[in-house]
Amino acid sequence: MPLLILLLPSLILLIAVFALPLFRYGWLSFHADSVMTGLVAIPNQGANWQRFIHDARYWQDLIQTLRFAFVSVTAEIVLGLIIALILNQPLRMRALIRSSSLIPWALPTTVMALGWRWIFNTPYGPIDRLMQSGLGQSLNALGEPSIAWITTVYADIWKTTPFVALILLAGLQTIPSDLYEAAKLEGASSWICLRRITIPLLLPYLGLALMFRLAQAFGVFDLVQVMTGGGPASSTESIALYAYWNALRFLDFGYSATIMIGSFLFLSSLILIAWLVITVARNRAAGVYAK
Amino acid sequence: MTLELRQVGRNINNQWIVENLTMTVADNECLALVGPSGCGKSTTLRLIAGLDPVSTGSVQISGRDITTLSPAERSVGMVFQSYALLPHLNVFENLELGLRIRGVSKRERTSKIRQVLDLVQLWNRANNRPAELSGGQRQRVALARALLREPEVYLLDEPMSNLDAQLREDIRPELRRLVLEQRKPTIYVTHDQHEAMAMAQRIAVLNEGKIEQIDTPYNLYHNPCSLFVARFIGRPQINCLKDESGHIRGVRPEAIRFSDSGLSGKLQSREWLGNSQLLFLETQQGVIRIMAPPEQAIPEQIRLTWRAEDEILFNAETGLRLSR
Amino acid sequence: MVSIVIIASSLFGLSVVARQPDHVSILMPAPFADSTAELVKSFNQQNRGRIHLNVIKGPLETEAISDLAISSLLLGDTPFDGLLMDVTWVPKYAKAGWLESLDNYFSNNEVSALASGASEGNHYQGSLLRWPLTADIGLLYWRTDLMDQPPRTPQELESISQKLQSSGRVPYGYVWQGRQYEGLSCVFLEVIDGFGGDWFSAESGQIGLDKPAGLAAAQWLDGLIQRGVSPRAVTNFNESEALQSFKSGQAAFMRNWPYAWAELQKNDSQVKDKIAITTMVAQTGHQPAATLGSWGLSLLKGSAHPESTVEAFKFLTSEESQRYLYSQYGYTPTQKAIFNDQDLLKKHPSLQSIGEALAYARSRPETPVYAQVSDVLQRKLSGTLTGMTSPTAGMQQAEQSTTQVLEAAGAAP
Repeated sequence: MPLLILLLPSLILLIAVFALPLFRYGWLSFHADSVMTGLVAIPNQGANWQRFIHDARYWQDLIQTLRFAFVSVTAEIVLGLIIALILNQPLRMRALIRSSSLIPWALPTTVMALGWRWIFNTPYGPIDRLMQSGLGQSLNALGEPSIAWITTVYADIWKTTPFVALILLAGLQTIPSDLYEAAKLEGASSWICLRRITIPLLLPYLGLALMFRLAQAFGVFDLVQVMTGGGPASSTESIALYAYWNALRFLDFGYSATIMIGSFLFLSSLILIAWLVITVARNRAAGVYAK
Repeated sequence: MTLELRQVGRNINNQWIVENLTMTVADNECLALVGPSGCGKSTTLRLIAGLDPVSTGSVQISGRDITTLSPAERSVGMVFQSYALLPHLNVFENLELGLRIRGVSKRERTSKIRQVLDLVQLWNRANNRPAELSGGQRQRVALARALLREPEVYLLDEPMSNLDAQLREDIRPELRRLVLEQRKPTIYVTHDQHEAMAMAQRIAVLNEGKIEQIDTPYNLYHNPCSLFVARFIGRPQINCLKDESGHIRGVRPEAIRFSDSGLSGKLQSREWLGNSQLLFLETQQGVIRIMAPPEQAIPEQIRLTWRAEDEILFNAETGLRLSR
Repeated sequence: MVSIVIIASSLFGLSVVARQPDHVSILMPAPFADSTAELVKSFNQQNRGRIHLNVIKGPLETEAISDLAISSLLLGDTPFDGLLMDVTWVPKYAKAGWLESLDNYFSNNEVSALASGASEGNHYQGSLLRWPLTADIGLLYWRTDLMDQPPRTPQELESISQKLQSSGRVPYGYVWQGRQYEGLSCVFLEVIDGFGGDWFSAESGQIGLDKPAGLAAAQWLDGLIQRGVSPRAVTNFNESEALQSFKSGQAAFMRNWPYAWAELQKNDSQVKDKIAITTMVAQTGHQPAATLGSWGLSLLKGSAHPESTVEAFKFLTSEESQRYLYSQYGYTPTQKAIFNDQDLLKKHPSLQSIGEALAYARSRPETPVYAQVSDVLQRKLSGTLTGMTSPTAGMQQAEQSTTQVLEAAGAAP
């Protein structure tokens, strides 16, 4: 009983912050509530959901968002691990290098995105000028659908790799050095140390970074909004941007809520599947050495 | 097979961590390295294992110079203070890793691990992860890993310091048996002199990176070569009395008796040790510790005396032993 | 006796209220807030003790200010009395029920004093909801050092460009706004109208994208890029990128708003004194069109001081204020009389061209779901311009999607 009382404030907070908006959006998704209804919610018998299922644009945005999330997060984890391994070495001016490597993370996303929009600008950005003078050819980075999404991935990697590196560096510092020394006595190479010691012991931190980053990347919004506005040809539009536009630009709150709930359900089932796969794999691995 | 250190030293930023270390550990011998923390015991082990480079001198095994070899090439089996077991692998996998690296076949790996786990009586825990084992069991796994290496030299870095006092005493005979059975030069680092005396045939006392004395436990106790050794070995600590001539007279607490004449003192406090009692007596020459039988009555007028041959004389400035 | 006390106290209360000036606040995008600062100061001096006007400086970009205004309005209590609105917002805000009608505050005479283009886009369903502060229109900028006469048809624009490009006098012919954003819709509106078509008519519900003029417009814009008349990078150009390109002498023509004139006449401009403006090209037999991008003031529902707010509107949009805003900041006036002001015309010859172009001003579709309709067009047109779809397929899809948007919104007639 006293335990319940102690838990109550955080429980109320959780409900207020998490559950209530979810219920509200869930309710809204079964209503027409838009500029056309004078912003009054009118039940519409699942019309939003029907539209959602057939909304090719949403599915395109979903694929684009997943593509953005997986490519950028994978790159961030790999690069973040490499940077963390380097920063974990005894370097000269290590404190300075460590703190300065965090600058991209400290910059507001919109400021950074404006910067990248200029850098990738054709024909005035430095990258294009370099291409023009070097190859005599222009790279229409932000105006070409096949390239534009890569520039947003690139900007995201630039911004958030330091964050991943920081988490992994914290993880690296929890690994006792004598584990490596014991392995060295056995003749382990650096590669074996990385594979057998560093990565397994870093797994909780890798998982943490992965969760944080996937959740953030799945909701990517301001970066895309500023860099490309979703274009060209909506090739960089994310589901968060689409939901935002439906709400604030189109004043269609019913459909915006549908997009959010639909994405929430999709993401939750994705996480559930990932969790199941990991659990099964782990259980299987545990049974390898029978007596 | 012998392990030999010749004038080995390690210098970092113009500071000697260990200096001019020379010693030989014979086949079938366990040598304990003792000394206060920071005296260079662990560094010495790391120099032998090749985990740190030496600045001067050489390390030899049976006359073969291994000073420049990598840790893997040295054939040393080491037990770390923390045991250094990988938490995500079970006992079997922890032991298997080194064998795999060295390219031992699957069949041979299994039979070797079985053999060594039987030896340390842990075959039934092969599938357990380190977190599921007791401290003593973990220590035996770490030892098993060193044994699997079939090395020419064993290095044990404070293997008991993570265990509670009772367990240490229980485990000692078993550990002694396992180590001595190998008949290999063994170095045993500890800060606990009782453990050192129990485990080792000889003890090296280190002080500020240098060897003060290497000798048998008996000699270290009875014939310390310096005040440092005299004070470090033996609990309760030796009494140090200042002489009129400026020398320091060391007298072990158990050598002092009550009598009718001699140094007079007053009881300050006492500690019960079960089979004896430790008395702290205030005298003109400072506080003196004496050991007395538990039933010893404390006389009203305390007078203390001891035999001249129980006195050890030290130079007050250098701390070195003076020949009588 | 009791009633006397009540009356007396309420009178007393009134007099206390009367002594407090009415606090009126208007939200404006940052550039407008800056340029009207002096006007606001003199308004407050004139009305000391009666009305105090406070302009709230919002973000810079049109879409950002809309997002801010809408988020505030959604929170319920009207946080501002007035809002400076883009022409495309009017139907949406009106339908959402956020705007107060201005019919009772402005006379017919006042309305008919507005220049022809400026009077567009202020009404929704017959009631006046916005009073124009400045009329913005799409213009064709051309280089007087490269040609004597500007092109009048799309074909001419292209042939002049190609001639100039092949003789090496300019790297590119024509720069415009091809990025996927509202500017692209503005560009398209002018082209489709120039080809004799109509993007979308809110009254009839007719969509003109998958029609000959719509297809011709998309094909022409796509062809400009395909044939190198416009740089490939226009697919990411907004106004400032087009301006930068034209300003540095990279192109013979540019589509932009009136503000560009002052920028091009600055000393760092490569084309200073080598430019003129005219209306957008149109197919022979059709009228040119200039997309109307005007800004105007709207009274928000729930304002505590509607009269005082409208008084502030009238001051900020008075002839005198417009003259000031035009000469200081190049804001296109909205009142006929100013375009006939000989003194002003002498000082600013370009005013004449702007006045002429204003006659061809065209509003974007006046529907509450304009944002969706425009979004669909931008998306599909951007797909065509970047080679994802052919112009024909792009326009077909755009028309289909527009129909779906209208149906989903229940806005289809």
